[in-house]
Amino acid sequence: MTTETYGSESLREAFGAALVEAGKVYGDLHVLDAGTKNSTMSELFQKVYPDRFHTPGINEPGMVGLATGMAMAGKRVVACDMSVFLHHAYDHIRTAARQGAGVHLVIAASHTGIAVGPDGGSAHDITDLTRMRLVPEFTVVAPWDGNQVRVAVQVILAKPGYYYLRLNRPKVPIFLKDPAPFEIGRAYRLREGSRVTIIAVGDKVFNALEAADQLGERFADVIGVATLEPLDESVIVESAARTSRVVTVEDHMFIGGLYEAVAGLLAAKRPTPMRRVSLDRVFTTSGEPDELALIYKLDTASLVNVCREFVGSS
Amino acid sequence: MFKVSTEELKEKAYRIRRDLIELHFKAGSGHLDTSLSLVEIWLALVYSDFFQFNPKDGAWAGRDRIFLSEGHACPLQYLVNADLGYTTRDAVFAGFRRPFTPFQGHTQRDLKCGLENSNGSLGNGIWQAYGQALVTDRNVFCIAGDGEYEEPSSLGLLFAPHLVKPAPNFTLIINSNRLAQDDVVNLGPVDKVAEIYDWQVQRVNGHDFNALGNAYHQAVADTKRPSLIICDTIKGRGGDPALMGKLGYHGRPPKNEKEYQAHLAGLEASRRS
Repeated sequence: MTTETYGSESLREAFGAALVEAGKVYGDLHVLDAGTKNSTMSELFQKVYPDRFHTPGINEPGMVGLATGMAMAGKRVVACDMSVFLHHAYDHIRTAARQGAGVHLVIAASHTGIAVGPDGGSAHDITDLTRMRLVPEFTVVAPWDGNQVRVAVQVILAKPGYYYLRLNRPKVPIFLKDPAPFEIGRAYRLREGSRVTIIAVGDKVFNALEAADQLGERFADVIGVATLEPLDESVIVESAARTSRVVTVEDHMFIGGLYEAVAGLLAAKRPTPMRRVSLDRVFTTSGEPDELALIYKLDTASLVNVCREFVGSS
Repeated sequence: MFKVSTEELKEKAYRIRRDLIELHFKAGSGHLDTSLSLVEIWLALVYSDFFQFNPKDGAWAGRDRIFLSEGHACPLQYLVNADLGYTTRDAVFAGFRRPFTPFQGHTQRDLKCGLENSNGSLGNGIWQAYGQALVTDRNVFCIAGDGEYEEPSSLGLLFAPHLVKPAPNFTLIINSNRLAQDDVVNLGPVDKVAEIYDWQVQRVNGHDFNALGNAYHQAVADTKRPSLIICDTIKGRGGDPALMGKLGYHGRPPKNEKEYQAHLAGLEASRRS
């Protein structure tokens, strides 16, 4: 069995196009960027709606502060940047989340994980999910492919709240049919199997499907997580109870990301042995994305091996 | 210039200072000296004849906005808002620094109570206020401390008219009492930097109602540039004269009856002078 694909597209390109569509629907949508508009693709919005695009230059704290003030005035606001630079703005992001109900603010981060590639460790943001899980009020969204990005943007712009949207740089396979499934707080079972549960987030969901295909018929239960906060507890607990083994996969450090979110959940609700396919507590190196996936064992073959050894050992 | 007479403003300032001293004594914590330095600045603003607000509908779109960026001055904000009718003096006294009330130790946004922004670290609120000014046609004022201007994020805001765009409906009020938590503050050439970056810049005595009123009118009259008003103030003004303008009393309320009475005696003396 193979997973069908429909071409490829980077999550950030899908995001930029989705912003343009949303700009037509919502006259109160304002978009900001702090000097990376041709990386985050927010420039697509700027070209069509220059009056609703703002930038303070290369100034991430200023951008998030401005965006927060606009959102507090009742506007729908999306603040975009390359993920690693949002470290600068963390304090402003925390203060944003303290502004109470009715505020509608999206922080969109492109260039996450080692998928950034040759720019190297200084540019690989592998702790963003952890940081955003630590800020109360934020919904943490990590879509799987371009089609899901489009739906996610529609959903998060429809209802006030604080949202973090995790995107990344390279073209990745489109494997969800349009319209893609996406609901806040819902995870989806994408394959049914009985030996092991693979839980994946972001573009690693595609690797999880490839791994399940290679592991064989009804071997792996695959669960795709698109919102890490809130996490869909029932789907995960139910699957863990059936397979008794859980492997998580993410382009992210294991601390505070998907692995620990799932581990925390299962420790409380259904203690289950786990393995992880994720980054250690390290600074990563330069290389092409596929090359780095091999080096750090985030590739499909590594996931298959982890699952086989896990099932074979217990 | 004001909705009430200057004499009435002075009487309000006296009563609010008295309440600030009592409020901090009862709470046993809080930043009394910062609030005392800001009393005239805040009253002159909300009682300026142009200033629009509606205490019955705190979220009214037509309101002029006051962001408080140096959030530790929130007790003054609470008491002025009680004076304006957003809440009551009793509610402020019952709730100040207590669990789950609208009157937290630093401001938590609550438009019903006239509280425009939740505070964060120094340097956060000023950017939010400028962002709000960019998307509303109402006046947006932001009160910041001079110590706050040591944060790079704050200095960066002075570039905003160039880097973002001018927001002529924005006025930044710096409370320059020259004392931060652990050291003296020197604003340095902040005013000159602001002029270079196309702000209307004024410097006034922050305890002089008429000077403040004139400065606010000048600020809102400028339809091209945002405004910066540096207000020279005395930290602890109108409290215990032994502590007034002295380093070391940031966040230190009167701890006992003797200290409390010393503050009240200072207040009475300053009223007579």
